[in-house]
Amino acid sequence: MTSSTSPTSLAPTPRQIWNRGRGLLVAFLILLTAGITMAALRSGDQHGRLDPRSADRYGSRAAAELLKSSGVSVDVAGTLDEATAAVGPDTTLLVTDPDLLTPHQQRTLHAATAPSGGRTVLLGAGAPSISELAPGVRTDLPAPVGVLSPECSLPAAQRAGKVELGGERYVTRLAGADACYRNDGAPTLLRIERPAPAADNGSGTEPGDTVLLGSPDLLYNDLLDEQGNASLALQLLGSRPHLVWYLPSLSDASATEGGDGGGNSGESRFLELIPSGWLWGAFQLFLAAVLAAVWRARRLGPLVSERLPVAIRASESAEGRARLYRKANARDRAATVLRSAARDRLASLLAVPPTEAHRPDALLPALSARLPTTERDLSDLLFGPTPSDDAALISLVDQLDALEREVRTS
Amino acid sequence: MALTGRTALLAALGTLPIGFLAPSWVGLLAVNAPLALAILYDYALAAPVRKLRFTRSGDTSVRLGDEAEVHLTVTNTSSRPLRAQLRDAWPPSSWPAPAQQAPQAHQASSRHKTTVPAGERRRITTLLRPTRRGDRHAARVTVRSFGPLGLAARQGSHDVPWTVRVLPSFASRKHLPSKLARLRELDGRTSVLTRGEGTEFDSLRDYVPGDDTRSIDWRATARQSGLAVRTWRPERDRHILVVLDTGRTSAGRVGDVPRLDAAMDATLLLTALATRAGDRVDLLAYDRRIRAHVQGRSASDVLPAMVNAFAPLEPALIETDARGLGAATLGHARRRSLVVLLTSLEAAPVEEGLLPVLPRLTQRHTVLVASVADPYIEEMSAGRGTVDAVYGAAAGAQAQSQRRRTAEQLQRHGVTVVDTVPDKLAPALADAYLALKAAGRL
Repeated sequence: MTSSTSPTSLAPTPRQIWNRGRGLLVAFLILLTAGITMAALRSGDQHGRLDPRSADRYGSRAAAELLKSSGVSVDVAGTLDEATAAVGPDTTLLVTDPDLLTPHQQRTLHAATAPSGGRTVLLGAGAPSISELAPGVRTDLPAPVGVLSPECSLPAAQRAGKVELGGERYVTRLAGADACYRNDGAPTLLRIERPAPAADNGSGTEPGDTVLLGSPDLLYNDLLDEQGNASLALQLLGSRPHLVWYLPSLSDASATEGGDGGGNSGESRFLELIPSGWLWGAFQLFLAAVLAAVWRARRLGPLVSERLPVAIRASESAEGRARLYRKANARDRAATVLRSAARDRLASLLAVPPTEAHRPDALLPALSARLPTTERDLSDLLFGPTPSDDAALISLVDQLDALEREVRTS
Repeated sequence: MALTGRTALLAALGTLPIGFLAPSWVGLLAVNAPLALAILYDYALAAPVRKLRFTRSGDTSVRLGDEAEVHLTVTNTSSRPLRAQLRDAWPPSSWPAPAQQAPQAHQASSRHKTTVPAGERRRITTLLRPTRRGDRHAARVTVRSFGPLGLAARQGSHDVPWTVRVLPSFASRKHLPSKLARLRELDGRTSVLTRGEGTEFDSLRDYVPGDDTRSIDWRATARQSGLAVRTWRPERDRHILVVLDTGRTSAGRVGDVPRLDAAMDATLLLTALATRAGDRVDLLAYDRRIRAHVQGRSASDVLPAMVNAFAPLEPALIETDARGLGAATLGHARRRSLVVLLTSLEAAPVEEGLLPVLPRLTQRHTVLVASVADPYIEEMSAGRGTVDAVYGAAAGAQAQSQRRRTAEQLQRHGVTVVDTVPDKLAPALADAYLALKAAGRL
């Protein structure tokens, strides 16, 4: 192929393409390697955070295994539908990151859990979710995580003793709420009793409750063996035989539902209403437009550039001077110049030497000798004062012209 | 790879079967898959562009205002016929600027449609009508080779170098016959019985009734039987050095032509005339350094050399170094010569730059300063009636009197000054040269 390529051809040879492209290729490879390396290094900590299957520092597999060995079944729910389907009187629902839920999801979750009679544990629920998921509770300023003591009557807390808590702090006026592990007066663990479900038919059924934990630290694999963390975790999550571990994620389909439902349905109704032939035809027409754009965009060779010569009029400085005179109303200067030019011309007509053209005693006698009958005040016209306004200047020029004509014709 | 309008049209027509018959993925595929296949087929069967061979021939120089023909021979070395659109790209000033009504005309002159059967060659001719002096280098040749269906094309470029030198138009050559006639009168070689003027002794010949009796050589008459008269001829083999100022003042346009071009035109007429008169002409173009230089050429050679030297010369937007100009002039005019300085008569550059170096020049040489006047200044100074026109007249008169004063200053140094509008500059300069020659001042 290369041997038959014309020597004049400007098409790049494979070698040129390689030479040109290898820099970019190397840069791309470096970028890719760096990306993979950074992802590998950075993902170690946060990957599988609070996931009951993760054995990382911030995973929660230890807690889940402990619960399983004590006879609690642990099910992981990735979507809201799975989570709500599993709630029931003998189920504990753990929501690891309630703030990730959209308002619509929060409403759905609350509607499912409120009448169930089960326990709901919310880890680090902040301002975005607290009002929907735990009505009657609001958050105070967050505090750093530290070792706190129970300071309350909740049996689980008293048995656990000191644990590592912090994060969100809660304020409530609800009756029957257990406020434990106070940091600077505000609790970081709050247990709220829910009214017993209407269809409460068994004696063994406890009323449902919601437990708010200010921070999820005590569930981390890393910290589970510190202080009374493990004890509190097992008591809070192991009160029912089933545990649903709900890990909210942004990829949940239910996150996009609700909210602006009106416009959405109107749009789908419009798309449903038009005949499908129009839709597909429009799509094909769009393809045709793209092809037409490709057709028109391809240029037959690049533009040819050229150095242009400068274009300056030779008379520019004189024109500029004229505008300057006009702007400054330089009647004195203009009249002087015009008179002097007229005197020069008259002198050559009257055979007065050019050196004496501007002397009244040489020019005026010669002029009056040529025009004995003139009525004009020649001295005033040729050597007189500056005209007082623009009209006077114009008439002065006209008079000078008339005088010159008179001399010429005499 | 390039597509054609036909492809887009087919895709657009495909809307109908898709919309009416099969509004689904199947219909979309049924229309577009054959189209895509046809495009690929067409691209595969188009003659390869990179295997084409190009050679150029044709004009290498052209006078400004004339047409140059440049031929491009395309050889199709592949086994497939070439149906192509070809663009022979040249700089924009190779053609007159496109008029508003027909902006396509500019493209049309560089684009060609051609068909070259496999293994054959075709010649394509591009007509250039350059609008400015200088060298025009061919840019690339771009070929768009269409496939048999006309749906897709291969596109590629070739670099086929060629240069067309655009020479000054030498519009003033129309004045040459009349000036040569005047020269012959001076020379005494005219068919009309006019006494040859001149200062250099030529020969003795027999007296013919009608000869000026003052030209009888009595000493020679005494040695022979008849009356002998001396004939004179103008001096020959004198040196003329034309110095062209290419500084910023030469860039100013008078009408639509830079002063420099008018000066070149005048130089060419002077050169043509002086060469016929037996004088030697050298050239120096200078602003801050020597921009062009013609020296020691024979009579038959000097005009082409000068035209070639002028072709790429452009005014530089810098102030001329008058001292350097004087030094370069002295360096190049070793023998006594007529120095023709083509510059401007603007007061500041002349007073500050030229006047100080003038005595050194006039000491050895005869100096002639020629300058291009602007007819628009005359027009301005004749303005009457409105306030603006009167102020314009004042400014014009001011400029004129300044030029006159500068010219007088130069004349006081013994310099001959020619200051006139571009159309008359060349004949005026020729006249001034003839007058100097007649007066024996060369």
